[in-house]
Amino acid sequence: MSQAHRHRTPADQPDTSTITVDAYGERLMSTSPPASTRYVASHVSKAFNGAPVLHDVSAVLEPGEVHSLVGENGAGKSTLFKIMSGLYRPDAGELALGGERLADLTPRGALQKGVYLVPQEPTLMAHLSAAENLYVGALPHRRMPFIVDWSRIHREAATYFERVGLDIDVETPARQLSIAQQQLLECARALVHNCRVIMFDEPTSPLTSHETEILFDLMRVLRGEGLALGFISHRLDEVFEVSDHLTVLRDGRMVASAGRDEITRDQLVTAMIGRPIGVRTRVRRTSDVTDRREVLKVEGLSSRPTFEDVSFVLTKHEVAGLAGLVGSGRTEIAETIFGLRKADHGEVWLDGEPLEHRTPRRCIDAGLVYLPEDRGRNGIFSDVDLARNVTAGIVPRLPLRWHLISTAREEAVARDSAARTSVRAASLGASISTLSGGNQQRAMFSRWLLAEPRVAIFDEPTRGVDIGAKDDIYDIISDLATSGLACLIISSDLEELALTCDRVLVIYEGRIVGEVRDEDVTTARLGELVVGGGRG
Amino acid sequence: MSTTLSVEKTEPGGAILRDVLRKAIRLRELQLVVAIAVVVAASAVAHPNFISPGNISFMLADSVVTAVLATGQTIVVLAKGIDLSVAPILGIAAVVVGFPAQNHNLPIVAALGLVVLVGLVLGVGNGLFVSVTRIPPIIATLATLSVYGGLQFIIANGQEVVNIPNAYDALGNNDVVSGIPWVLVIGVGIAVVVALFLRHTNVGRAIYAVGNNAGAAHRSGIPVQRVIFATYVVSGVLAGIAGLLYLCHTGSADSTTGTDSNVNLTSIAATLIGGTTLTGGRGGVVGSVIGAVFLSVALTAMVFARIPAIWEPAGVGLLILLAMVTDRHSSNLTARARRHRQGST
Repeated sequence: MSQAHRHRTPADQPDTSTITVDAYGERLMSTSPPASTRYVASHVSKAFNGAPVLHDVSAVLEPGEVHSLVGENGAGKSTLFKIMSGLYRPDAGELALGGERLADLTPRGALQKGVYLVPQEPTLMAHLSAAENLYVGALPHRRMPFIVDWSRIHREAATYFERVGLDIDVETPARQLSIAQQQLLECARALVHNCRVIMFDEPTSPLTSHETEILFDLMRVLRGEGLALGFISHRLDEVFEVSDHLTVLRDGRMVASAGRDEITRDQLVTAMIGRPIGVRTRVRRTSDVTDRREVLKVEGLSSRPTFEDVSFVLTKHEVAGLAGLVGSGRTEIAETIFGLRKADHGEVWLDGEPLEHRTPRRCIDAGLVYLPEDRGRNGIFSDVDLARNVTAGIVPRLPLRWHLISTAREEAVARDSAARTSVRAASLGASISTLSGGNQQRAMFSRWLLAEPRVAIFDEPTRGVDIGAKDDIYDIISDLATSGLACLIISSDLEELALTCDRVLVIYEGRIVGEVRDEDVTTARLGELVVGGGRG
Repeated sequence: MSTTLSVEKTEPGGAILRDVLRKAIRLRELQLVVAIAVVVAASAVAHPNFISPGNISFMLADSVVTAVLATGQTIVVLAKGIDLSVAPILGIAAVVVGFPAQNHNLPIVAALGLVVLVGLVLGVGNGLFVSVTRIPPIIATLATLSVYGGLQFIIANGQEVVNIPNAYDALGNNDVVSGIPWVLVIGVGIAVVVALFLRHTNVGRAIYAVGNNAGAAHRSGIPVQRVIFATYVVSGVLAGIAGLLYLCHTGSADSTTGTDSNVNLTSIAATLIGGTTLTGGRGGVVGSVIGAVFLSVALTAMVFARIPAIWEPAGVGLLILLAMVTDRHSSNLTARARRHRQGST
């Protein structure tokens, strides 16, 4: 049953020795008084479409404690909370609340058992009142069943709002609430259902620091009342400020778990990103290149509240990186440079010429291309063949015959370009969706090379690409830079940036907070900076 | 931009009044009543007959069939669906009771039972396609529009209902008290019951919740697909009842009843004009009923203004567009104006 689940250190994760897992194992073993709200997840595993997301992870949410999950993007933190709140079903492992095993947990069942997940994005009913949102799905009724008791809802909602410090009219439509207010409302919702376990999935990422403090105050109050709280955040300052216990996940495995005072910040960062480094060698350095003409200049670019005052320069032959957490504004900066979003302020210069009234078309024609992050949605035309996908960016420039696009000439252009990035496909007429992720990405590279760019922004260039193909893509980028292209790589994979970039700019909450170059570009240094460690 | 967690504090005196007024002006129902008043006033100036008791009674009675259909349509649209098959459901109901009424003097109570049954069965059909097989509602009901329309042809078999018993005619055209037709009482009764249902029952609130955010509704323990299923059944039943009212009001039914007068469009038009949004979760039947009255008044005004009847469909379409443009949630135009206002304060 639920007692005695000693966490085993995975044998293939040798570099976590700095933190002992034993302390936590003891906690699991100890025969503490049967607190009714102790929520134990033991040996949970989960895979999506065959890709493992969680592997043998255990965690205990103790009453009167804030337990934080820490890890990089894709480490499995949200997945664990979603399993614990019944949104996902685990492939293996079990959940136990106060000693009672919870099998086949559904969101409804979790709510009834007193487990609530405050989701990453509050999911309120925009057109319903704040009070109704509080009770939705379980509206109290009058003596006659099914007849909703509105006066009771409005009366009681007011007391719950007061308890969480939400000063609003109970009939305010949810769409008029700020994100912070919506989160407090979600907390109140948990209290309405008498929840004893509340998990917060990255609640602070959209909040200002003032709002964050209000949320933390509430969390402390709830902790004081004996609730068991779970917390996810990318900001290590916050994690240390509010947590009693920390569990670090990496690539779906639990690599460390310790009380707040038993672990240092450095140990935490090492555990988070500490993948064995040095397996792959740096792809290239451009310090030997002499032609360092400035190609792209971005000055004071702002699009509040997403990012502010972003300035940098890219030179010929350079591979620069843009590091930052999801939500830090990296992609938005690239999209603004490329004219997909409007800037409030700031200018972009290409080869000394200002690039004004930017639209994707103008940027492409001027020699600036952008490889979007979500290849499936913004990159490939999935119903169309490879040739048409390759030429899609330069349709107005295709060789014409009698003023019409000549299929033969178009395919000749596509063939040459696809060969440059060694796309492997049965034929040019093959549907692009039949190609592997790596080959699709190569096709995207060949599309943008046709535009003969001088600057290329690659957003997550190796997402959804297998390991072998990754190296090929790094080689392509390296070759492009050697031939003079200025590249900007946006990536969540710090190792990738460390491997490919000569220089990395670090974005934190919409601002450039640091720049590292050459030998200083290491995953450890980047890891520190992206979580806000570069300040002060 | 404000970052505090409290909404602006209440201001004294005149500010509150101004606030209430501003809210009232935004109310779709009130906007429509004003629009109706304007159309009525303008037409009355040009043609005093427009406000004769006879014409008012005619316009109201004329709007009842649309109002009942729109009531069902509203329920479906609130849950983010759409029902394009109300026209043939109305038509099938009309011919299914029309022939036995004409030929065998079917009692009106039996007729009511029959149209409810017809609506129920056809509504269940729609509900199954949408909520069980998960075909997008616009496709599912477009298909059943054709299927049910074909059934109507088969059932009518080229015959026409031209003669209905007195009891039917009385229901369709007589007044309860002078100036208030029976159909109006029935229509208002249905609208009131549905409005109360939507506001004051768990199922009614679940419909709003599903339309607002089906994912969150599921997370809150609402049986989303069952709720969606129910909306199509209710819409079918109300379309069936509308079929009986249509038969009683016009005294005729044939293989193209409903489809030929384009009640699909008018039911959706009344719903949208009444402020219910196709994005789901916002609006209500009161607006739809007033929307139906507005349509009837506006179209009658067109007749009085001697605009040829062939312009009627174009008029309905323009009214839908007008309603969308003036809707502050769906229209880009008004949204931009609002942002501008907020930016300048």
